[in-house]
Amino acid sequence: MKKLFKTYSPFSRAGVQSAMAYRANFIFFLIGEIFKCFVMYFVWRAVFDSSQNQNFMGFTMEDMTVYVFISFLTGYLSFSDGAFALGEEIVDGSVSMRMIKPCSFDMCFLFQELGNKVINYSIMFVPIVLGVEIYRFVITGAVQFNIVSFVLFFVSLQLAYLINFYFNVCYGFLAFFLKNLWGTNLIKDVIVGFLSGSTIPLAFMPDALQTVLTYLPFASLSYTPVMIYMNMYSPFQIAFSMLLQAFWLAVFVLVSKMIWHFAMKHLCIQGG
Amino acid sequence: MKRIFRLHRIFISQHLKRLMEYKVDFTVGAIGFLLGQAVEILFIGIIFSQIPDLAGWTFDEILFIYGFSLIPKAIDHMFFDNLWMIGYSIVRKGDFDKYLTRPINSLFYVTVEKFQVDAFGELLMGIILITYSLIRISGNIMWQRALILLLLVPFAVLIYTSVKILTSAISFWTKQSGHITHMFYAVNDFAKYPVTIYNDFIKVIITYIIPFAFTAYYPASFFLRGENGWFCVLGTVLISLALFGISLIVWNRGIKAYESAGS
Amino acid sequence: MISVQNLRKEFKKTIKEPGLKGSVKSLFKPKTEIITAVDNISFEVEKGEILGFIGPNGAGKSTVIKMLTGILTPTSGECMINGQIPYKNRKEYVKEIGVVFGQRTQLWWDLALRETYAVLKEIYEVSDKDYKERMAFLNEVLDLESFITSPVRTLSLGQRMRADIAASMLHNPKVLFLDEPTIGLDVVVKDNIRRAIQKINEEEGTTVILTTHDLSDIELLCNRIVMIDKGKKVYDGPINDLKHKYGQMRELCFELKNQDALSALDYAKTFSLSDDDLAVDSDGVEVKVRFNSQKASVQEVLKYTLNSIDVSDISVKDADIEEIIRRIYKEGV
Repeated sequence: MKKLFKTYSPFSRAGVQSAMAYRANFIFFLIGEIFKCFVMYFVWRAVFDSSQNQNFMGFTMEDMTVYVFISFLTGYLSFSDGAFALGEEIVDGSVSMRMIKPCSFDMCFLFQELGNKVINYSIMFVPIVLGVEIYRFVITGAVQFNIVSFVLFFVSLQLAYLINFYFNVCYGFLAFFLKNLWGTNLIKDVIVGFLSGSTIPLAFMPDALQTVLTYLPFASLSYTPVMIYMNMYSPFQIAFSMLLQAFWLAVFVLVSKMIWHFAMKHLCIQGG
Repeated sequence: MKRIFRLHRIFISQHLKRLMEYKVDFTVGAIGFLLGQAVEILFIGIIFSQIPDLAGWTFDEILFIYGFSLIPKAIDHMFFDNLWMIGYSIVRKGDFDKYLTRPINSLFYVTVEKFQVDAFGELLMGIILITYSLIRISGNIMWQRALILLLLVPFAVLIYTSVKILTSAISFWTKQSGHITHMFYAVNDFAKYPVTIYNDFIKVIITYIIPFAFTAYYPASFFLRGENGWFCVLGTVLISLALFGISLIVWNRGIKAYESAGS
Repeated sequence: MISVQNLRKEFKKTIKEPGLKGSVKSLFKPKTEIITAVDNISFEVEKGEILGFIGPNGAGKSTVIKMLTGILTPTSGECMINGQIPYKNRKEYVKEIGVVFGQRTQLWWDLALRETYAVLKEIYEVSDKDYKERMAFLNEVLDLESFITSPVRTLSLGQRMRADIAASMLHNPKVLFLDEPTIGLDVVVKDNIRRAIQKINEEEGTTVILTTHDLSDIELLCNRIVMIDKGKKVYDGPINDLKHKYGQMRELCFELKNQDALSALDYAKTFSLSDDDLAVDSDGVEVKVRFNSQKASVQEVLKYTLNSIDVSDISVKDADIEEIIRRIYKEGV
């Protein structure tokens, strides 16, 4: 483990430094994105004002607010495009530069992005969680923060990130065949956003669809950690959904390794 | 004036030619965009399956406001997209030099250079939503109000464009301001829904400071309900002109502070 | 025609400290310093003259050109071109000048070259008749015919430069500014470009101001040069004077077969050269000897070297601009 960090820490440092250089930009970007959360917050407030019910498909106004902001936080922190360039590198052959280095391809990308994540966490994690907790305290008059849920959320968030990372490694390979990156990317983001429940909570979908989506890998990307944070899941559901996360992580790691080996073989045959 | 149109014609025909070359790219991009919009409409639909109205506005009215908000956004996107590049790279790389060595207004020159065909998706979606909601609202469309609404579109576009001019001009001092533009531009998300759902603080901001409320809600609500006519109509005209004036002043000052890039 | 007086330009620069600690520090307390890129420069240019603007990298050449073309506003000082102040009445002023920046094209990447000229015709409001005449002339001088229908992105560097120069001449400007017009081009293309510039100057009487790294550009084109270094003018006068005075430095490079052999050589004593006229650098194997060819002929020095020691490789080079500037700095003008 120690050796692992020793080998890959330079990648993380590079990631931290480049993120530092752009941190002012990141903050501006973040504020712009947070506006969108506030739009959703106000829409929900109006919805609850217009509704006789204090309960909207199992969610209260307080739940919805927490959902909007924590789902944004989760989406952002589990976002990954670190391995996106891999597909291109394989095509133009520059990937051979990675083969001559004594480290595995996924670890290089992962640790480089980790450096970047450190900055993202330091800038947005505490303010958003603190904001949400203060809001919950003011609304309910009691401290809602639950250390067990929080720890479980954090673990689940890391799993979500890793799934995202390996999912994107696979997508990066695919994108290379699809050619049009901008357009296909847009479609992918919309579909993943929809299926993962980050646009609309999965609880709002028809029951049959909801059941299917819970088993698909997309719920693991965002919905699971958010539900854990909000205490919406029973202990059994938590255990089950986190095991499901682990399962999907294993699947994507395996698939990406397989594609990698296939690509390497292919590369050797071409003599590139 | 004639010169402006002739320049536009050359660039637009060129972009259309390129569009033909990249037909697949364009289609895939448009599908992605329409899909994204569809999800948002679905979201509104789900909400309205549970409530009769949102802050006093019906589903159809909300669709109309949402659809109308896409129109000025799309037009700005279509003609003035190059302004984004000022803040992201043109100034930083020193590429702004070429705009200053021509006997033509630099701002106009920057904008005329790019015609963004991607915006057709937004425009189309806006028109579909407006048409759909109007058919459902049906009956008494006030033609005078419709005409006024149409006349307000250019002013609404001007608000979008001015926000972009103002924020991208910051890069003349700081080298880069694309993310600042992104931040202010993102405020337009508030314009998609009725201003009445927001608290006073946000209302003041999107009415007077970053006046995106005038790009959609105020004109659209005047059209739908005919209330506050003076404020909605005259406000759109005056606020957009004032903002444009300020952005021109900042832009011109910025040019004086422009430092180019070492070569 | 062109009159520049006490021109000065200052830039503010943020200092970035290296490493992680440095970037954290600059987050809270960014340090800035003021850099004087151009420091009180004055000169005059006559109509029809070709003036060479030379100096090492970062000397402030481009900054001067950018002030003369109205891109940058001077911190202080004045420049007047054809009775106009560039940065004050920019839109009117730029109608009378043409500008080419060698390192970046002003043509539209995706447009066919012909379309680019059509756009420029509109921008400069050139009449149909004038446009035809100009295109014919430029075609003759720069030979555009073979690639005028191709998109700019497909042009070679040499073609692109020709196209750029033509673009800057379309409206028949009185002054043409060329910033590094031959940079990155091979010898044959360089020669073509130079001849084109000369022809434009002769036939149209266009005043040309050019910056360059390449001494041969200057030798073939300019009768007069202004040299600047670190923002200050260090020389202003005919090229011949300068060459005569400073251009005699030569550089002899050779590789030793036997490392200890260097001690066998003593150029200073053999040719009785002072420190100003001689400099010897060595890293053990490679040796560089710079000497004044006026005081010790190239032939003699070569002969002496070859007779004294065994070398595996040898070459002689002309002094480059950096060398001349180094010498001017040492001695003053």
